[in-house]
Amino acid sequence: MATMKFLCDTKRCIECNGCVTACKNENDSALEWGIQRRRVVTINDGVKGEASISVACMHCTDAPCEAVCPANCFYKTEDGLTLHNKDTCIGCGYCLYACPFGAPQFPKRGAFGSRGKMDKCTFCAGGPEEDHSDAERQKYGANRLAEGKLPMCAELCATKSLLAGDAEIVSSIFRERVAYRGSNSAIWG
Amino acid sequence: MNRWFKQLGLVLIVALTTAFSAVSFAQSAPAAETEGQIWSQLKAGATGETTSHGQFHNQPINTYDLRLLDVRSDWLAPGLMLALFGMIIIFVVFIKINGISKLHGGFSGKMVYRWSKFDVSIHWLGAIPCLLLILTGLVLLSGRYFFQPYIGEGMWASMVYGAKQVHDVMAIPFMIGWALMTVLWAKNQLPKLYDLKWMMVVGGYINFGPFKGKHPDAGFANAGEKLWFWAFAAFGLVISASGMLLLFPNLFEPSRTLSLIALILHSVSAIIITAFSIVHIFMATVMSEGGMECMVSGYCDETWATQHHNLWFDEIKENGTLKYKDQA
Ligand code: HEM
Ligand code: SF4
Ligand code: SF4
Ligand code: SF4
Repeated sequence: MATMKFLCDTKRCIECNGCVTACKNENDSALEWGIQRRRVVTINDGVKGEASISVACMHCTDAPCEAVCPANCFYKTEDGLTLHNKDTCIGCGYCLYACPFGAPQFPKRGAFGSRGKMDKCTFCAGGPEEDHSDAERQKYGANRLAEGKLPMCAELCATKSLLAGDAEIVSSIFRERVAYRGSNSAIWG
Repeated sequence: MNRWFKQLGLVLIVALTTAFSAVSFAQSAPAAETEGQIWSQLKAGATGETTSHGQFHNQPINTYDLRLLDVRSDWLAPGLMLALFGMIIIFVVFIKINGISKLHGGFSGKMVYRWSKFDVSIHWLGAIPCLLLILTGLVLLSGRYFFQPYIGEGMWASMVYGAKQVHDVMAIPFMIGWALMTVLWAKNQLPKLYDLKWMMVVGGYINFGPFKGKHPDAGFANAGEKLWFWAFAAFGLVISASGMLLLFPNLFEPSRTLSLIALILHSVSAIIITAFSIVHIFMATVMSEGGMECMVSGYCDETWATQHHNLWFDEIKENGTLKYKDQA
């Protein structure tokens, strides 16, 4: 099976936040107030070396979130995605501490800021519920992969900075771009 | 650093940066100046501007030593299992071979005042939550390796959810009990020279060999109890402080890496407190005949006092603070 990956080409990202909006719209049914699965971060804003990068869950192979979760709610799909089961999640927050990309986010619950169930990018592949069921839509949002489609954020990226799909294909597209640009300094700036 | 990302399966990006770096170095010197600059800034944890209000969302990448996660799953999780069940097994075997410490000459029936009602209540204020924290903490740390494989999915989900809820609530009375005990009891727990001798003969609890029949000197608390007291004071502090960071992240706003370190320190302290707790419980309930009464009524039998805490008994007899329970 394929191994799905994201790649964000910082040379192309224009910080339009189109991916953020696309994600919010596509997965609206599952996103509680304040949850944002994808974000665009601009470093060196306004000065030399400015660059923007779109970040969400990177679906790590040896995922730290999976290693640390006390409830063991993460699972790997045959597409190499790291998804989780919200029914088992206890909202402990360990995955947020362990995730290098700050992907897990929590709806605020309770008096002392205790956390609700974790939400993160699903690569638009839903969750453990039956494909396209109401339960899946309510808890995890869209399941585009089951329809043979790729993630909405990458599909709607106007500059095709954000690439999503089979790792082999994504990297060959990127390699081609780099070759065309002609210099390594054109990769990350 | 490259190994770090490989482990996450981000081979893609890393492979590309390394594959092309050779090319650019060969090409021209000026190119090398900006070479991979953005990437290295990101790897170093650069923060920037974002429209998201999500937690930590202004930082694309946060790195830390991934071995922390292995320490937790490979050492601490089995470690807590051993501290609980291993210690119980060791103690049961020990008592089978060694037998318990009987009161010589049996109970006198005369009950000596030892703890106030308040002392007894703060003991249980700390102790009952402590037991529940150990059991629920065990589910959180070791459950997915040692319990989940043997039970159903639904049962596991309620077990781990219940563990978190009970753990969060019990933390509060535990900390109050811990603080009161630590502050109010410390003066009776200061180490004395005779504690060394107590240690040399293992408190006189060994019923065979050269140790048999020994009754070393002990004041209000014996050396073993003192060791437990100070371990409880110290690791109780570590477990409370690290627990507070995990329980009230909004109050203290710890970094993610600090939270992971707190998690490790919390579990290390849990292992130590658990192992000591098992010894403590066995000593009080089974090993030392008549010991449990102290934390039930606050009084102890006179024979128990002379056998296990002779210096204390001599002292209160001498200075007139010896008080017997009214025989109804
Ligand atoms: C005898 C006392 C205690 C023991 C034996 C204990 C044990 C544990 C263990 C083993 C874990 C799991 C750690 C891991 O998964 O790596 C844990 C988690 C946790 N502990 Fe404790 N703990 C104790 C006291 C406390 C106290 C006093 C607090 C709060 C101030 C606290 C707050 C927490 C929190 C917040 C977690 C994270 C899971 C959750 O959100 O429920 N603990 N504890
Ligand atoms: S949540 Fe974080 S650690 Fe887990 S797979 Fe996604 S990026 Fe990796
Ligand atoms: S918050 Fe949920 S998913 Fe994250 S580590 Fe805790 S139980 Fe697992
Ligand atoms: S893959 Fe889907 S869920 Fe993930 S960030 Fe893109 S749109 Fe959102």
